[in-house]
Amino acid sequence: MGTVIRDDLAQAHRQSLAHVAAPGSQLTAQRRLQIAAVARDAYLAADPSPPWVRPYGDAALDVAYRLARHAGTITQQWYEQIITEGMHPLEWVEVVGIVIATVPVVAFSRAIGAPLPGLPAPVDGPPHGREAGELAPATLNWVPVAAPADQTASVVQALSALPDEWDNLWQLAGAQYMSDAQMADPSWNRGTLSRPQMELVAGRISRIRECFF
Amino acid sequence: MLSWSSTEAGTPADLAAIAEGEGDGGLPFGAELVAFAEAIGGFDDDVLAAARACLTEAAGEAFMVDAAAVVANFEMMTRVADGTGAKFPPETAVFRAELDARLNIGGFTSAR
Repeated sequence: MGTVIRDDLAQAHRQSLAHVAAPGSQLTAQRRLQIAAVARDAYLAADPSPPWVRPYGDAALDVAYRLARHAGTITQQWYEQIITEGMHPLEWVEVVGIVIATVPVVAFSRAIGAPLPGLPAPVDGPPHGREAGELAPATLNWVPVAAPADQTASVVQALSALPDEWDNLWQLAGAQYMSDAQMADPSWNRGTLSRPQMELVAGRISRIRECFF
Repeated sequence: MLSWSSTEAGTPADLAAIAEGEGDGGLPFGAELVAFAEAIGGFDDDVLAAARACLTEAAGEAFMVDAAAVVANFEMMTRVADGTGAKFPPETAVFRAELDARLNIGGFTSAR
């Protein structure tokens, strides 16, 4: 018998991969799945390319690769270089949204020793173009965000330029970790890990990934 | 967040478990949790299998699954932060300084 996974968690992960396989704001489903496959393979690679190598010669795939495997090495200078080369800032945000929709699902499956999930078939259709009603430059992030900028925490506004990516991020967070409402209560937990135990695990993996934030 | 939530729960945590990956943070199953996170952060599947088995044996399968979910969440949140250049507001710098020093993270490329 396999490992038992909470229904809400399994559903959140299925929903995230379905999100990847649907047309995005800037990108088709086929392109999104190509980016997701790069992110998955980069995360799992036994012998990855170093961070400064761009293994694909394709900006979106190179961003996905570096973010999935070497996220802590990404600098503002590299972001600006990629944008100067021609990537639209909202495409960058969408690539981030695809990577963060894929990596946690793969990471979780590997962590519990379950088979890695396959990527769904693409949903036909053009990019839908949905974005925040008004965009603004932020001082707390490199990327543009929904206006008004810098009124919430930087990780909260990070993907706000593309509402579908933002929604997927927070539906995953609610199932994997906790919702905003639950976070406000330091004694809340699911009856397994206590809050200090959750923060111990969260802190250690963040330290391993050299994430200053 | 570790310091804040641990204090609220009445079990102040030892940040060395986060900074060095050693010890138990002063928490039940802390050593097994740190080893599990360490193994997920590494890429040796045999080490991961052993850490998973150890945590499951000590705390149960549902506990292991929820620990894996928390790690997955921070595999996500670290990439959100590093992929969008997320920063703390300047007014929090003083409050962050001591914690940054204790965790030895000020030299990270991702420090912005």
